Amino acid sequence: MILCYNAESTAKLSVVKEVKETKMDNRSKIQEILKRRGLDVSAVTDFEDEEVKEPSPRFTKLINTYYAMKNTVDMEYPYWYNRVWWENEGDIPEIRRAKAEAAALSHMTPTILPGELLFGNKTRNFRGAFCFPWVDASFFNAAAEAMMAGVDAPPESAADAVSVVGSGGGNVTEDYGNIVSIAKKFGIRREEIPCLVKVAKYWDNGSVERVSARLSQARPDYQKWKNYRDSVLVMFDSWAIPQGREVINYYLPLEYGFDKIIEMCDEKIAQTLGEAGDDGVLGMNRGYYYIACKIMAQGISKWIENYAKRAEFLAARETDGKQKKEYLDIAEVAHHIAHKQPSTFRQALNLTLMCHYGVVNEDPHSGQSIGRLGQILQPFYEKDIADGITTDEEVIELLELYRIKITAIECFASSGVTGGVLSGNTFNNLSIGGLNYDGLSAVTPLEYLIVEAGMRGKTTQPTLSLLYDEKTPEDFLLKVASCIKLGLGYPAIMNNQGGMNFMLRQYQPEGMNIYDARAWAPGGCLETSPGCFQPLHYNGKVTMIPGGAGPTAGTGIHFTGMPKLLELVLSNGYDRRTGIQVFEPHNRSLDTYEELLDVYYNVYLQELLEVSNRINNLQMDTHRKLCPTVWASLLKADCFKVGQNQSHLGARYNGTINFESCGTVNLINSLASLKKNVYDGKKYTLEELKDAIFNNFGFKTAFETGVYSPDRREATEKATKYGRIFADCINAPKYGNADPYVDSILRDYEERMLPKMLNLRSYMGKQYYMCQISVSTHGPQGAITLATADGRLCGTTYADASMSPAPTTDKNGLYALFTSATCYDHAMCQNSQMNVKIHPSAIKGTQGTRKLLDVYRAYMRKGGFHIQFNVTSSEVLKKAQENPDDYRDLMVRVAGFTQYWCEIGKPIQDEVIFRTEYDS
Amino acid sequence: MKHFECANFLHLDCEKGMCSKSKMIVPMDGAGSDACPMFEEGFMCRFCKHFSPEDKYETGICNGFEKKDWVYAQCGAFSCEKFERK
Repeated sequence: MILCYNAESTAKLSVVKEVKETKMDNRSKIQEILKRRGLDVSAVTDFEDEEVKEPSPRFTKLINTYYAMKNTVDMEYPYWYNRVWWENEGDIPEIRRAKAEAAALSHMTPTILPGELLFGNKTRNFRGAFCFPWVDASFFNAAAEAMMAGVDAPPESAADAVSVVGSGGGNVTEDYGNIVSIAKKFGIRREEIPCLVKVAKYWDNGSVERVSARLSQARPDYQKWKNYRDSVLVMFDSWAIPQGREVINYYLPLEYGFDKIIEMCDEKIAQTLGEAGDDGVLGMNRGYYYIACKIMAQGISKWIENYAKRAEFLAARETDGKQKKEYLDIAEVAHHIAHKQPSTFRQALNLTLMCHYGVVNEDPHSGQSIGRLGQILQPFYEKDIADGITTDEEVIELLELYRIKITAIECFASSGVTGGVLSGNTFNNLSIGGLNYDGLSAVTPLEYLIVEAGMRGKTTQPTLSLLYDEKTPEDFLLKVASCIKLGLGYPAIMNNQGGMNFMLRQYQPEGMNIYDARAWAPGGCLETSPGCFQPLHYNGKVTMIPGGAGPTAGTGIHFTGMPKLLELVLSNGYDRRTGIQVFEPHNRSLDTYEELLDVYYNVYLQELLEVSNRINNLQMDTHRKLCPTVWASLLKADCFKVGQNQSHLGARYNGTINFESCGTVNLINSLASLKKNVYDGKKYTLEELKDAIFNNFGFKTAFETGVYSPDRREATEKATKYGRIFADCINAPKYGNADPYVDSILRDYEERMLPKMLNLRSYMGKQYYMCQISVSTHGPQGAITLATADGRLCGTTYADASMSPAPTTDKNGLYALFTSATCYDHAMCQNSQMNVKIHPSAIKGTQGTRKLLDVYRAYMRKGGFHIQFNVTSSEVLKKAQENPDDYRDLMVRVAGFTQYWCEIGKPIQDEVIFRTEYDS
Repeated sequence: MKHFECANFLHLDCEKGMCSKSKMIVPMDGAGSDACPMFEEGFMCRFCKHFSPEDKYETGICNGFEKKDWVYAQCGAFSCEKFERK
């Protein structure tokens, strides 16, 4: 019997046993009562959930170590990158970059802990990361004196000042002892600060940030961009995390191994170096690209060999025979995969892990998705099982340990990015399901084990995403539902056909066909990314394995507060919070609803898109010129084939740049309120409504109450004055109730946005698309937005995601919410996002599992793109907020990711607590 | 000498590591951070014969490669092909 879906037991593993016993007693009592009444149900199991096995002892030991770890920055990688970069001044950028990266990777200290079966780390520390001064050095240079003095660095930007990182768990938010806190998240040892400061100085004038800023400032409309950023209307810059939100492609190392790749590079160099072919612009680059690939492959191979050397070093000193053998086994695996195609599942899994670390060490990186690992590694698993080399239990153990490895991947960025956007997560998403090359269900036996490992080994990453298709086996769908019920926040459910339709729509100009469309997967949280299938030759068979085929699908115009933009329309372009005139005054009377929309869409939004796109293009073009993506490009179809890195359109698909919106539902609800109360109903003049909004309807702001969800309203003496108008704003039609009045506004919004996206041109020369996820930006962007016409108060978070209702405003149940959400074609955009909170009691037992499947299937069938669930109760979350130390392992789904509760900032905690909770 | 300067020290985070001999977590600073009698000099640039210290911050010069360059004393050297004990 398993009761782990019970939120209390999820929160407090230590009491699971006690709870189980109590529940067993209750069950016995119920059975006894029913038996007395003539109903013997002792053999009936419908009201019980399947038992979930405990994780392996190895997992338990290592995850407990993880819980005690601090996020740590060290200087080994930056030191070596900096040294070798400058030693090679004057070299071709791709080659110079490869030399620097290879040297950095291959000089890091390899750490292998007792009990580990998989080796590899991002750095020498468990939750390690490092800074990238070649991308962004101003933060360190501005703070150099303060850091040297051991004083907190000043906030990097306006966005940093409104971002709150959770202070619990592994976050280092303050200096102590020999530890200095940077970015409000990482600790660095005081003795390494001089090295950090010294390295950063080299890049003061030449980082991507600095060079792109100079170029941006040459634009006559630069001040407009600065206004967007200073008001936090647009949340951050593209250079902050220039890679990620994409799907890696492990094909080349799995098919060939590094020695063969190096040989292939030599052949390509012989063919292309000095030859332009028919491309007079980039043709010559091919030779340089292959030289860079060869250097990188050699560097990665050496890095892996260092782990073999380390394992042998530890084995030589180890007195425990079992541990000694485990070290030697690791050495054997490392020696093999440093050179050859893997020959076992364990080798293949460890190889993909090392490839992954290599990519996430290339740049500030979040959202490097693993893709469909259970389909990619199925041939290796299948052979090992057939040969009796391993068992399912051993494979599950490896997959549990893999989960810890991926969970420990950290990203160093400014606090605005780390806390405000990412909530500390790095979004290494693993997809399951979908269709295979032949158009049949792609679900493999290994994918069942991946889900099982996710159920036993409860960690935040990799989050799992089910690509739901009508062809997906029913038992697999039920297993996914069982996993969701554990309250871990995964798997998320994504619409496979919807994703394929988006692929065909967006990438048709680049030749997307039905076969490649079937290979899509979410990059990052749910940035739908293009892929393709490639033939893996293994075990005497050819298997078409999927992998990524496009560069970052998550840079572009970053998180824009759509309700904030409406506020600026109402305030004639003036930001009352900062005193900045963000837009030129439009000086329009806004007498009609159509005029309001015209200013919103065609004047302010249009300007924002055009200006922001140009600046983004300059930032990303600077990045591709200064920091060519060598390793990530080797792991992306078809870069190696065509001899260009992915920044130079080497990948098969390149229309991957997006516009990220935030606060969709508050915008729609606010437009509905304005339409209802001012333009249609004429209950109030626009001036009256603006007066109420600008005075926060007479309530205290979130900053004054310290509570960021809308459930806390403290009146001021002005509240009476605005009482009636506030009630009418609250009672105006709200999204999520199948009300055509407001749903038609949502549809109109989506249909107006699409042509705007198609008319923008990214630095890749391709069209844009809409990315409608909030990540955690609904916290800080809510913080900078005054009250809105839907009755939301100043400073409170926006509704999360893009399809989630504003908390407690959906009154007609889930199916009404689904009707509202699917009032437009979701395949017009890269994604949409809906988060739903369900009380565990609503989906109890095996009947509840089926009920949950029915719920998510209903949304998929209606055309929804994405839905994910928090199976927890607000009561537990409130207790965890009060006593975070008692809930170290409690996880929640925030937006497109799961995170430890204690590592999330309070505004987002408040918002999650207040989300509508479905309990029946 | 401190635990973190020992060859048996495994890095965990900015404040602690693990002794690969005892399998115990050991602090890098303060009480309990001093190395035990089984101490064996670890792999750091400061222990390398190619390292010459220069300033109070323990940065110095690495003479091990063709091109000399500055380096910091605490830099890990396990993977360095030029590491040689003093």
